[in-house]
Amino acid sequence: MNRAPYSPPDFQPGHVWLCGAGPGDPGLLTLHALHALQNADVVVYDALVSDGVLGLARAEATLEYAGKRGGKPSPKQADISLRLVQLARQGLRVLRLKGGDPFVFGRGGEEALSLVAAEVPFRIVPGVTAGIGGLAYAGIPVTHRDTNHAVTFITGHDATGDVAGVDWAALAKGAPVLVIYMAMKHLATIADRLIDGGKAGDTPVAIVSNAALPDQRVLETTLAKASADAEAAGMAPPCVVVVGAVARLRAGLDWLGALTEGRVLEADPLGLGRERRTG
Amino acid sequence: MNGFPAFLRLAGQPVLLVGGNTETAVPKARLLLAAGADVTVIATTLAAEILDWARTGRLTVYRRRPSAGDANGRAVVIVAVPDADGVAVAVAARAALVPTNVVDRPELSNFIMPAIIDRNPVLIAVSTGGASPALARRVRSWIEAVLPTGLGRLARTLEGARQGVNDALASAPERRRFWDSVLDGPIATRILRGDNGECPQFLTQLAAQGRDLTNGVVHIVGAGPGDPDLLTLKALRLLQQADVVIHDRLVSDAVLSHARRDATRISVGKAKGADSWTQAEINALLVHRARDGQRVVRLKGGDPNLFGRVGEEVAHLRAHGIEVEVVPGITAATAAASAAGFPLSHRGLASTVTYITGHGADDSEPDVDWQAAARSHQTLAIYMGLSRLTTVAGRLTANGLAGSTPAAIVENASLPTERRFVGTVATIDRIARDNRLTGPALIIIGDVVALADAAPASRLLSVAS
Repeated sequence: MNRAPYSPPDFQPGHVWLCGAGPGDPGLLTLHALHALQNADVVVYDALVSDGVLGLARAEATLEYAGKRGGKPSPKQADISLRLVQLARQGLRVLRLKGGDPFVFGRGGEEALSLVAAEVPFRIVPGVTAGIGGLAYAGIPVTHRDTNHAVTFITGHDATGDVAGVDWAALAKGAPVLVIYMAMKHLATIADRLIDGGKAGDTPVAIVSNAALPDQRVLETTLAKASADAEAAGMAPPCVVVVGAVARLRAGLDWLGALTEGRVLEADPLGLGRERRTG
Repeated sequence: MNGFPAFLRLAGQPVLLVGGNTETAVPKARLLLAAGADVTVIATTLAAEILDWARTGRLTVYRRRPSAGDANGRAVVIVAVPDADGVAVAVAARAALVPTNVVDRPELSNFIMPAIIDRNPVLIAVSTGGASPALARRVRSWIEAVLPTGLGRLARTLEGARQGVNDALASAPERRRFWDSVLDGPIATRILRGDNGECPQFLTQLAAQGRDLTNGVVHIVGAGPGDPDLLTLKALRLLQQADVVIHDRLVSDAVLSHARRDATRISVGKAKGADSWTQAEINALLVHRARDGQRVVRLKGGDPNLFGRVGEEVAHLRAHGIEVEVVPGITAATAAASAAGFPLSHRGLASTVTYITGHGADDSEPDVDWQAAARSHQTLAIYMGLSRLTTVAGRLTANGLAGSTPAAIVENASLPTERRFVGTVATIDRIARDNRLTGPALIIIGDVVALADAAPASRLLSVAS
């Protein structure tokens, strides 16, 4: 037999693996996550995990949903943590599967700490986060040498559902590119606060829904018009919102649009009026 | 061969399932329903899923003890609970020459159920002849890992085009060449991506025109932090298909070893040395190889979308009419955080996460608003920051970040050579020098780093090895 394409550790009974499922395309699962799916006894997953990903679980595995459903409030974080401990103590191989990466706005830290407190052995497996890799399918690099040397990630609302209690004015000044998860609920407020804080109303914005899935949609707009345009276009969560000059690069880098719809790409989307520097 | 491989067509056929528990009966019922069988379940206890299916009319249930007579007239009998009653049904079924499977009792079964990979209409079954179901599952995982997830879609699209292409191309060798070129070129990439709208007609037209379809596609692929288990399924598949792999210095040997043995590997690493490649040279190389009709993978460490200069390469390729696909990878910051056991964002500690590169254009100091970077309730992940660590730490403290803020360095994240150091903003620079860090390193600054003590690495390691 040829050598196996991968050789992750054994998934032992009574252990919990907190695993990132990536932005949705099953091809963006890691080999480690695939191994987890094919060896887990129970998969506890949240709303952002796609059916294509769950389809790779072994047929005998129990799939347990731990997210929002039909307008009902989502289970409390403490309940999910408790459930993981409970399942592990039954001697099951427990896969906690989260959209994106468990440690980037995935509240993986809270679940991991509960497992520590309960002395349940666990492992954390990173995933492709929608705010970086997911944007590749929208033709938006989160950094570009002509535009930014830093990028800031933030969530649009906190655990209580309110607009995140952060200093938006400071972000408006200090963050050349902002990537906002869960931004749709408070998009108008967030845009207003950024503009009040000094971000120009014509700052390019891209709103990407269902990043990296076949039904991905991308809206190209500006900060001042983002909320109205998103509503007019019927953009629905889950969305990632990108604020900053890199959003404009999509006009030149939408390789997926070029591949599937024959979009004609611009050679100089930033309007630099010169040959791209190389070297 | 200790069995005759075959696929049973069970649509509308009467099938008996003995047993109604969650562990063994529900999975079998699910598969039988997926195959369209007319399923009857007989058991004294019935799991909630089975009752749900019965309520919605998808199967029939009898809550009673099964008996030998239940086997009569069935196309297949599966005994999921092999107690005395179950075994009696199995014996009767076999005597009546009904294909019979008893869970975990191969000696009572005249057929066994393989591990399956279902990409309808593509169905792959794996059997070890009962020697080791666990090994069969492993083999299935290995196969899953190399199959494109859009395989079913590809098969259906090709089926739709088959008649038209057969009409356009008279000879069998011509047809074979055509289909190979479709599968090797950008068209298959498009279909696997989910674009199959006009495809059957489009393929028929191409066949009629006799066009060469293999010209030009470059996949820009994130290789992740180094551990090959952190490759994405897509990255692995593209690597295994590539004729040429053009990779950065930071891509690990373990990852590169997944390329085909006869693939050409070109390192365009920007090591500080005499023969490093300029971006213009890399761009030209990509265009040249793609125009030769080769399957080109441009492999970059981490995620090409973050500090990976993906924009420059995509723009250049598109300007030369070459199709591009960008495949994201696991970026070093998330890999380092997972390995070290602290999250990048955490309620109450960090509501924003900022990634910074230590290198600006032409290796100058990066253009960063240090006042914003020094704000509290934030995690900073600094890429390629080792050579400028003194400056970075100085800028942060000068702008008000407490010197006591926790800081970590993860060198060679996810690789066997990984090293982790934890200190503070005030001490991290000295820690880096004292430990002679040389590999690619990621620096993480913020209160979340302190959580690594709560979830100590030793706990993770004890699980790991």
